Amino acid sequence: MKDAREQIFASIREALQTLPERKPHPGPPSGAADPRWLAEETDAAALFLKRAAAAGTKVFTDAEACADWLRGLSARVVLLAENVTELTVDALSFAEVVSVFDRNDPDRIDASVTRAAAAIAETGTVVLTDETTPDRLAALAPWTHVVVVRRGEIHRSVADALAALPDDPNVIWVTGPSKTADVEGILIQGVHGPGEQAVLLI
Amino acid sequence: MAEQQIDQFTRRLDGKVRRAVRENSAAGTAKRAEILAADYGDPTPLRRLAGEIRQHAIENLDVHLAKAEDSLKRNGAEVHYAVTAGDACRVVSDILSRAGARKVVKSKSMVTEEIELNGHLEAEGIESVETDLGEYIVQIDGDHPSHIVKPIIHKSREDIARSFEREGLGDYDDDPETITRRARAWLRRKYFEADAAITGANFVTADSGRLVLVTNEGNSRFCLAATRLHIALVGIEKVVSGDADLAVLLNLLARSATGQQLTVYTEFIQGPAGSGRPSGPRETHVVFVDNRRTEVLASDCREILRCIRCGACLNVCPVYRQATGHAYRGVYPGPVGAVLTPLLAGKDFPAFADLPKASSLCGACNEVCPVDIPIPDLLLRLRNRAHAERLPSPGSPPMGPFAAMASRPWLWRMALRSGRVMDVGPVQKIPVPWMRAWLNTRTLPEWRGGKFRAWMRDRRKGGDET
Repeated sequence: MKDAREQIFASIREALQTLPERKPHPGPPSGAADPRWLAEETDAAALFLKRAAAAGTKVFTDAEACADWLRGLSARVVLLAENVTELTVDALSFAEVVSVFDRNDPDRIDASVTRAAAAIAETGTVVLTDETTPDRLAALAPWTHVVVVRRGEIHRSVADALAALPDDPNVIWVTGPSKTADVEGILIQGVHGPGEQAVLLI
Repeated sequence: MAEQQIDQFTRRLDGKVRRAVRENSAAGTAKRAEILAADYGDPTPLRRLAGEIRQHAIENLDVHLAKAEDSLKRNGAEVHYAVTAGDACRVVSDILSRAGARKVVKSKSMVTEEIELNGHLEAEGIESVETDLGEYIVQIDGDHPSHIVKPIIHKSREDIARSFEREGLGDYDDDPETITRRARAWLRRKYFEADAAITGANFVTADSGRLVLVTNEGNSRFCLAATRLHIALVGIEKVVSGDADLAVLLNLLARSATGQQLTVYTEFIQGPAGSGRPSGPRETHVVFVDNRRTEVLASDCREILRCIRCGACLNVCPVYRQATGHAYRGVYPGPVGAVLTPLLAGKDFPAFADLPKASSLCGACNEVCPVDIPIPDLLLRLRNRAHAERLPSPGSPPMGPFAAMASRPWLWRMALRSGRVMDVGPVQKIPVPWMRAWLNTRTLPEWRGGKFRAWMRDRRKGGDET
């Protein structure tokens, strides 16, 4: 018996043989996928904040305001990733601050603060990678997740972000809190991931 | 003459279910139209471009699939191929048994529905838990998804609350927020207990070897954060040439499916997490599944392989809205299912040859399709195939009597003159079964037959033409 790979490729080639010619690639989309309002937006940071808020993400441009918000949520245990310098243990003195996610007690941590690799203005998206978020669970399991983005890291469009996709085993774009509308079309936040997603733009 | 099967199903359908599906689908169609108009004005050029990107991908599948395999291997993933549904299931259970994995968490995937993977794993003694909220409910109910994107569109919160009570997830409570929190807590335990994660993929890029996975709940991300072994089952047609294509496809997919700019979690997976990482799979396996896709590629309906599974054609379809998903008797309901199910049935094509007739050919499915699939044309091609194979056609009035009349002028004239009797008596009562079946759901207009001929005759007599 031919192996499965060989068999599938033979079937594909046989199927395609009947085509008089094969459709060429239409070429790079060069802006075709950009929403029509994107060109008018010149300030990437302002657009990012606006779109992130529209997607249900809390936005902060001031570390102190962000820490106050966490305190207001009565976060008692906060995971502060080691590569975050914008928020400090001192700023989070109201909480017990830890740096490691314990998978044996996944719900102990109320909030986590981790670093983004990049962001996308068009959609208000933050980009996480294994490089900047070594423990995927730390940015996913806690109810509240704050991700720190620097202004220089914002891509203007989805197309720009795709052109700059990092070479990383896992890149994830996060646009708002985890949500579902499976039950009667009613929107509920915080299904498996954060119910509160926030960004701190510095 | 028998009714079409889809009509039989629809007749038995609970009115509450029909109303829920109709309202939810209509809301989906409205949200899609609103965001596309706001962001692109007329989305047609973008839909055409996406169609060209996907058509290119499938017409060059030999090249792109080989390239995707090379790229994935370079990124550290293992690549497998499966010709049939059974082969695909065996490849998965082999990988699991080699790793000694007994418990699996699954992220929503249509191809795994298609190959009935959960049943296979259960038979092998492997626990496989769906983690998408809707799919989880479908699983505990022993049900089937009735929509590609909204699997439990046919269930009410009361149904779900009763299922949760039965499964020991707490006392009866039909508040959607409570339902979601209980599922969060329950499935969280499952993620951490699991030895492996099984997902599908929305796209695979040939140039960079990335699996692209989108979810709103974050369940696929949790699967890939909590477990150490990842198996992705991917239909061979999911391959696109490169990352750049995704700008068009991702923008259209989220807007068409749920009216969002982007799905909440869009994940790009190249391979296993680096050694020393505290989370993420140590092994990544990609299983490319044929399961008759190459037969579809060889057919005159290959455009259906462009499909990116957004569900927009279900939402907009007047037949889907009335009949609901289970009426289509397959994994893929709605217009896309009416094309795909008969094609993927292979030798069982005759058993599903009625599905392409479950359409008024209004063309709405084509108009909303993010990859511009000419679904009405494909439905017609499948109807022709059924006709050419001389398959019975329940629900269609026999055309023989009409053909006999239309080809004999004297008989035609007589029929036109005598047709007026239909205005007199109740036509529905005529004891010809096929006429009754047809007229049950239709009202005949007042008879106007023969007027044009009379007008022509008078016109000639009057000698208006010189």
